[in-house]
Amino acid sequence: MNKYKKITLDGLIYQNPTFMLVLGTCPTLGLISSAFSAMGMGLTVVVILTLSNILISLLRKVIPNAVRIPCYIVIIATLVTFARMFLEKFVPDLYDSLGGFLALIVVNCIILGRAEAFANKHTVPEAAVDGIMQGLGFTLALTLMGVICEFFGKGSIFGFEIMQFKISMLAKPAGAFLVYGLSIAVFTYVIDCIERAKRVKANKLARENLLKEVA
Amino acid sequence: MTVKGFFKSNVFKCLATLLCVLLVSGVFLTLMNGLLAVSDQERLDRAINKIYGKSVAYTQVEVANYNDNATIDAAYRIKDDGNYLVKSTGKFGFENGTVTCWVVVNVKNGSIKGIDKVVIDSNKGQSYIGNINNNFLSGFYGNYENGYIFNPNDGFIKTGATKSATAICNAVNGAIDYVNGKFLGNVAVDIYADFELTEYIETKQSSHEIDESGNIVYTIKTKGHTMPAGFTIEVTVNAEGVITAYNLVENGSTSQTYINRMMPEILDGTLFVGKDFAGIQAIINEGITYPGDDKGTTISTGATQSNYLCIYAAAFATKNYDKILTDEVPDEGTDVEGGNE
Repeated sequence: MNKYKKITLDGLIYQNPTFMLVLGTCPTLGLISSAFSAMGMGLTVVVILTLSNILISLLRKVIPNAVRIPCYIVIIATLVTFARMFLEKFVPDLYDSLGGFLALIVVNCIILGRAEAFANKHTVPEAAVDGIMQGLGFTLALTLMGVICEFFGKGSIFGFEIMQFKISMLAKPAGAFLVYGLSIAVFTYVIDCIERAKRVKANKLARENLLKEVA
Repeated sequence: MTVKGFFKSNVFKCLATLLCVLLVSGVFLTLMNGLLAVSDQERLDRAINKIYGKSVAYTQVEVANYNDNATIDAAYRIKDDGNYLVKSTGKFGFENGTVTCWVVVNVKNGSIKGIDKVVIDSNKGQSYIGNINNNFLSGFYGNYENGYIFNPNDGFIKTGATKSATAICNAVNGAIDYVNGKFLGNVAVDIYADFELTEYIETKQSSHEIDESGNIVYTIKTKGHTMPAGFTIEVTVNAEGVITAYNLVENGSTSQTYINRMMPEILDGTLFVGKDFAGIQAIINEGITYPGDDKGTTISTGATQSNYLCIYAAAFATKNYDKILTDEVPDEGTDVEGGNE
């Protein structure tokens, strides 16, 4: 399999940071009560994760192993601070809706995790694609759960009122926890079904080949 | 280790790398801060434009307080349309907390035409503020009865956060009184300013008249207490200072449960009829201070504060009746210009 295709599928599905690796749980539970906030947080993470992966991959041969983690944290913190300044200047609504969770991206496990597990071992293009895809995986998961929580919790989607009926609990972190758990269960089940179907198909093919060889 | 050895060591390399990363980050953020910093003025412009719903030019105006139930924190005159944007903090919320609101007061031809917008800015200790929704806030936009005074007991206030809603109501009323008093010259006259026992009485919203029999008929609006909102009570006091009628017009208790816990004799007024000030005082064992003097006060019924406010209104009426008679009834034999012979 093409390595970029594998990175893409890993980021979006097989190593999806939210559903499969269960990383970045804090902003997930805090922000999915609003689809706008959830998507905004996801896109901010895409930018920060991509830039941090690129920088760390660029500097991987320069940074000594003993101080790599402090260096990564300084780089990530710098990028997050820059993102905060940028959002406050140009997208103040999103800045207000993200609140304290924006600053907490510094300690987001996904970013430091990808820096340590991927970026410092791969080339710049690979690290960049990994950053984009992991970020998009995170964004899609957050947005999906944000839409569910906002629809059932507030009766709206992206702020547009759809219905009067609402289950208020789903617009709160406790409801978000419930939706998060159910989403992981459904996502894992679907992936499991697909994998099983692939295995069955591969076994069938192997059996047919074997029968052909015997014949 | 020699100096040369130190510079070739891994320790130096680590320190240098770390310092370089810090230096580059610091320089980058300093530059970005210079480019992207948001000034206080820009923040204020944004906040005002967001509240107002469009980009507007404004001037800051001097604040003043014309309402005891609210504090005016800031105020701006919108140059485009002459309206006022008032930041007002309403008191008497849940557990005596406050709610701060931005209120757009629509002014046309020298008088207030209505409220264009109410936006909650912040609150202190209002756990149920989440129950306040846009439907509730929009209730202010068309409710201009009773001389622009919004009543916390009105039907539109049923939100599941009655006390927070009361504080919001007070904030809106405070903004209206401020614009009325400061810019339109309509200062509400407090006719009870030098009366006694006014601590729990909305003196600017209460009134009285003297009927043909010489009885004083009060319409008393009480303030809220920690739990209940204000009560409206009609009390009639005769020339001897004795209550002859007591009618509870509006109950400020937050729910039917608390209304049911109030003394039945207070609800129908029989507790007060036939009593003068001394008789009212005796109900809570001398003195009129909440919650009595701990001598087995009868008002502790599970709705003590509601009972107390009703007793306080009766005490106010009987304590001050002679002052009203002295001030308003001219002495016999005095020539009154233009009077009948």
